[in-house]
Amino acid sequence: MRALSLKICLLLLMPAIVRARTINVAPHTAVASLKQAVGQARNGDTIIVGQGTYISANTIIDKALTVLGRNRPVLDARYQDEVVTITSNNVTFDGFVVRNSKTGSMRDFAGIRLSKVQNVTVSNNTLLNNFFGIYLSDCDYIRVLNNHLSGSNDLENSGNGIHLWKCKYVLISGNYVTRHRDGIYFEFAKKSTIENNLSEKNIRYGLHFMFSDDDTYIRNTFRNNGSGVAVMYTRRIKMLHNTFTRNWGGSIYGLLLKEISDAQIEGNQFTRNTTAIYMENTERITVTKNDFNANGWAIRVLASCYDDHFTNNNFEGNSFDATTNGSLKENYFSNNYWDKYEGYDLNKDGIGDVPYRPISLYAQVIEQNPQSVMLMRSFIVNLMDKVERAVPSVTPETVKDDKPMMKPWKR
Amino acid sequence: MLIVLAALLNACSRGPEPIRYGSDACAHCKMTIMDKRFAAEIVTAKGKVYKFDSAECMADFLKDNAGLASNDKTMFLVSYYDHPGTFENATNSVYLRDEAMHSPMGGNVGVFTSEASARSFGKDTAAKIYNWAELLRSR
Repeated sequence: MRALSLKICLLLLMPAIVRARTINVAPHTAVASLKQAVGQARNGDTIIVGQGTYISANTIIDKALTVLGRNRPVLDARYQDEVVTITSNNVTFDGFVVRNSKTGSMRDFAGIRLSKVQNVTVSNNTLLNNFFGIYLSDCDYIRVLNNHLSGSNDLENSGNGIHLWKCKYVLISGNYVTRHRDGIYFEFAKKSTIENNLSEKNIRYGLHFMFSDDDTYIRNTFRNNGSGVAVMYTRRIKMLHNTFTRNWGGSIYGLLLKEISDAQIEGNQFTRNTTAIYMENTERITVTKNDFNANGWAIRVLASCYDDHFTNNNFEGNSFDATTNGSLKENYFSNNYWDKYEGYDLNKDGIGDVPYRPISLYAQVIEQNPQSVMLMRSFIVNLMDKVERAVPSVTPETVKDDKPMMKPWKR
Repeated sequence: MLIVLAALLNACSRGPEPIRYGSDACAHCKMTIMDKRFAAEIVTAKGKVYKFDSAECMADFLKDNAGLASNDKTMFLVSYYDHPGTFENATNSVYLRDEAMHSPMGGNVGVFTSEASARSFGKDTAAKIYNWAELLRSR
């Protein structure tokens, strides 16, 4: 009986709840700007913006609204201000072209800024020529889905594409980012997921973590950026099934790891990078089931790294499989396939009977004397490497794969 | 012959080197240097140049390389937040630590010509002002 009366009560309340209105915005009508529509709207309303170009010198969305663009309306800040700022929880912002935010060194102007909000979705927008693209500060439970961001490609006046500062539980999925400083930037951003994004031709990094723990990035592609991905001063990052390709040039890396611990690097493809993975001050990193193809240096592990494990990877066509700058201790290699392995397998168990030493003598020579790279692939270098492999004397004794695979792993 | 001589002479001169933004990497944190407002540089007594993306990286680097810090022939150079793109002497500059700085390494330190200028940029109530020696000690 009580349940029934409760239902009746709810039924009576229904009209009040569902009286959410829809406000239409179109050029040359009574409601000709998004700002005007937000002013009229109440929490829960929907605003539909029709085709056209609207001047938007920082339109502030401070109510819980669903804001939809029909036929890709353009919000243009004309380099005067930010374009849109969302300051309310429970907002959906979808289907716009957001362009021409102000640039400048004194403030981080953004195309779409989210400030201190929760449960907001920013989806299916195109952001063009903004200083920063989508800027999240102090936000939780945000979804950034299927946006297309293209920055100014200006070396000195270029912000990050998707920028997170002090955020938690953010999902960044299906976006394309190019021509920004860092494609995606995380600072103090935790417990977030980055999946299925393509980040290419950004000036600095495709993806960059600073002081951001417990994040996962999965199935992304990082192509032709200043460097692919930089993970710095963080813990417990999962890096799964990503593609790092064509990150090419001096001090450029596919994946740069610095002062990180307990990371998992699994199922990634590293192709045609100057250095596929660079590691400095790392602890307890597992690098497993990755493919390293046609890189200059597949892995460069500095002596400051401890307890890192490299297993079940394929190393094929790399100029150098591994290098280090000192004596490498407590880093473990096993069950990897190395195309430079020349051992034998008498008991036919698929595992080579003699260990493989991934650090060649020549790599050690280059370490001391970079100019000697000009002797690469010469007869004398090959001879030196062969002798060293037979009778190791200079290369670190502990760095070896005791169970090198005879055939590459099939994925 | 002259050209070779000139090149040799040139190689001997000790002085700061311009930073190639977007391609030079920080000697301490390995990040590519991008932001003109924060870049810094050390020129050692022998003329070796170390470039940094921020003053806090330079300070951290000096903590690991105490010999450089104590050598009075070492040159320490910083960019000013209010006049980006030029190098100035770090030892008599003013350092502002302020949440609003957003420096590349999260240390939030900006460098200024004078204390007055630094104060006018301070936004955070917890902002602190350091001199060079205090900055080094704070790392």
